[in-house]
Amino acid sequence: MSNSIENEKSCAETADRYEISAKSNYSSVVKSTLLKSGPIIAFLLLAIYLSFASPYFLTGSNIVNIVRQTSITAILAIGQTLVIITGGIDLSVGAISALSASVAAVLMTQQFQIGGFMIGPVGVGWGIIIAMLVGVSVGVINGVIVAKGRIPDFIATMGMSMTIRGIALLVTKGMPVPSHAVATELKGYLPEQIVWLGNGSILGFPASGVVAILVVLVGWFILRYTVLGRNVYAIGGNRDAARVSGINIVRTKILVYGISGLMAAVAGIVLSGRLNSANALMADGEDMKSVASAVIGGANLAGGDGGAIGSLFGALIMGTLANGLNLLNVNAFWQRVVQGLVIIGIVLFDQWRRRKFKA
Amino acid sequence: MVTKKVLLRMERIDKKFPGVHALNQIDLDLYAGEVHILLGENGAGKSTLMKILSGSLERDSGNIWIDGKEVGDLDPEHSKSLGIGMVYQELSLCPNLSVAENIFLGNLPKTKIGAVDWEKLNKMAKESLVSLNVSIDPRMLVRNLEVAEQQLTEIARVINRQSKILLLDEPTSALSDAERDRLFELIRLLQSKGVGIIYISHRLNEIKMIGTRVTVMRDGKVVDTIPVEKTDENQLIQKMVGRKLNEQYPKIHTKIGDKILEIKNLSSENKFKNVNFQLHSGEILGIFGLMGAGQTELARSIFGLDSKMSGEVLIDGCVLTKHNPNDSIRHGLGMLTRDRREGLVPMLEVPQNVTLAIRSQESFGQIIKLRTEKEFANKFVNSLQINPPIINRKVVFFSGGNQQKIILSRWLCCESKVLIFDEPTRGIDVAGKADVFRLMSQLANEGIGIVMISSEIPEIIAMADRILVMRRGEIVTEFQQSVTQEDLLCAASEF
Ligand SMILES: Nc1ncnc2c1ncn2[C@@H]1O[C@H](COP(=O)(O)OP(=O)(O)OP(=O)(O)O)[C@@H](O)[C@H]1O
Ligand SMILES: [Mg+2]
Repeated sequence: MSNSIENEKSCAETADRYEISAKSNYSSVVKSTLLKSGPIIAFLLLAIYLSFASPYFLTGSNIVNIVRQTSITAILAIGQTLVIITGGIDLSVGAISALSASVAAVLMTQQFQIGGFMIGPVGVGWGIIIAMLVGVSVGVINGVIVAKGRIPDFIATMGMSMTIRGIALLVTKGMPVPSHAVATELKGYLPEQIVWLGNGSILGFPASGVVAILVVLVGWFILRYTVLGRNVYAIGGNRDAARVSGINIVRTKILVYGISGLMAAVAGIVLSGRLNSANALMADGEDMKSVASAVIGGANLAGGDGGAIGSLFGALIMGTLANGLNLLNVNAFWQRVVQGLVIIGIVLFDQWRRRKFKA
Repeated sequence: MVTKKVLLRMERIDKKFPGVHALNQIDLDLYAGEVHILLGENGAGKSTLMKILSGSLERDSGNIWIDGKEVGDLDPEHSKSLGIGMVYQELSLCPNLSVAENIFLGNLPKTKIGAVDWEKLNKMAKESLVSLNVSIDPRMLVRNLEVAEQQLTEIARVINRQSKILLLDEPTSALSDAERDRLFELIRLLQSKGVGIIYISHRLNEIKMIGTRVTVMRDGKVVDTIPVEKTDENQLIQKMVGRKLNEQYPKIHTKIGDKILEIKNLSSENKFKNVNFQLHSGEILGIFGLMGAGQTELARSIFGLDSKMSGEVLIDGCVLTKHNPNDSIRHGLGMLTRDRREGLVPMLEVPQNVTLAIRSQESFGQIIKLRTEKEFANKFVNSLQINPPIINRKVVFFSGGNQQKIILSRWLCCESKVLIFDEPTRGIDVAGKADVFRLMSQLANEGIGIVMISSEIPEIIAMADRILVMRRGEIVTEFQQSVTQEDLLCAASEF
């Protein structure tokens, strides 16, 4: 008798405890949406501010400008995000862009004699495929060094970065490809399709922006819906648990660095199109920009957390900020100061918000 | 007890997490020289209450008095200075420091010129370990210790601070009876010196052994506080889960089938040597040993987690050659490791954690159906009563026992032929233990072979069809089902 009474009471109590949970579930949904959309909010605030501060900011041509500036960083940031979520960092993405674009540009504009055959200039299709192959190969080598050689990610990729910038200098002989002389005298231009990727547009929207959006979608899909994506989060979240659960850590890491290399090659091609030429030192500073984009977008440098959409907005914040500072006529030296401080500020704010609303 | 000096008093402590009202107006007091047992189901709020005392969580409201003086906000430093020491359920040692450094962290002995006095440090550490009657080398790195040894190190650290109030959150969950007895001796000694101890455990038989009073919590509230001698296990269970338990060890007797796992001459440098045994389908094989007997290392080697070993592991007559978890899982082996932190991916939600081992066998490009995955996880949330039953919640935010259930689910759903469970019910409450045992019985009944390593003698005797006893890395005896606790402990101990 007393038993059943007690039993009923306990059910009521339990429900009580979760009634609270049902209510705050609603507020926790709101909270977690706010948490995830932090970078989006930051971006909107920045855009609203700039649209008041400069009449030129919201014009069509300026927006196209921002998209062009941002797309390279965004493409690199997606590969970087995958790497960062596994707990690594890829400081060679800029160099990979330069090398793959340079190799492709050389092959697409010059002729070679190999064993008595005249080769090249190769077509656009081949150019792009070769650039991607170069990117993937360097990425895979990064992955092997990191995962098999057990060298810290940032040392391995920094070393790789120096190495392949050197190789790119050798390939291009230190000149832009095609160089000014080649372009004017021999009419050796980059194929028009490549130039279109950098400077053209589809129905008024920059082609490079379209490429970036495609890359973001691919990254988002991989992270959310594929086994690879799951493994990436698991390895970064708890390497031991991933190992005990049978996840092949070495293979996952190699693949992720390979993807990062591939994205870097795509970015390199687009960038060379925009510049009308490739050179060994292009995309300088893009490594750090891509890391900053990912982190501003919510990726955790310790691994286990981050996402493609967040990183896209991270890149947009960086691009918009640079553009805004230009519009506001801020002196170039000060621009650097401000950009650096803003990165620190945003990440500090993000940490604080996470602690505050930890849910 | 003649005079009851109140050391600690908590009134109307309240704490809400997003989604759960973890503590609802809790009142609790602690006398000098008493062992106050805190009892409650998984997720009742025990650890949360202790963490509020140790300063690692902030309370929403409520008052705390220590030695009659009201204390305001507590942070870890403040709490330590008030004489509160805590052994956390998820241990809080630094894995890359030595045992000695961990014990004296923040308080290292210095030489005249201000450098660490290593000699003195190691000597002092040795002494404090000896007082616990354990022989751990103080110079060992913590990450190379067994879970039980880590537990003892953490206990040594807290005891060394000479705290007035000790909070022990499941300090014995990885200890076997022998090590536990030594801990209890020490607790009695501290008790006689007037230290007040709050003790959390899911091992109900410990209540009579060590407890003075017991407070039962349920759903974030205090149900009752009773002197230990005025109550018994049944009454406590009743108060704790709000109903009677049907059966603590629901064992189904199944027909034992063909041999599915065979271990031949397995040795690993100074961990274990020459291990031979067979496991049949439908069989639950217990392995029992005291701390350091090698049972955990043996299990890890079989599963391919430690690869430096010689000998053979055969599943269904097929030799495992690669010795890595991925390959073992492919051959139908599954393993729950003793250390929970080696299993959970804290920032992923329940479904992702549950399906992790299944994913390891799928190709990278395979597309995951999120909906199916959720339904799948829900099945286990129901059958193991994972609480709160909200699956889109990161697993760090679950209580210790519920985390254990989540990792356990990972292997229950993996369609393995052989499962190795190292301390499967660690940190799980009484009702939950029965659920776990019921599932194990069902699995065995379906023809799966289970190796069960446990430091809890009653459960291993009740559940295992056969028990192997390990001592110093060797299998010394084999018992059939009808074995007494004394026999088992005797066989495992050194003489
Ligand atoms: N940081 C957190 N964020 C959100 N919820 C939490 C957090 N920590 C604990 N909880 C929730 O609070 C409740 C009480 O948890 P607590 O860890 O105190 O349980 P417990 O009694 O120690 O259980 P166990 O016996 O399993 O260790 C649980 O429902 C848990 O999910
Ligand atoms: Mg707990």
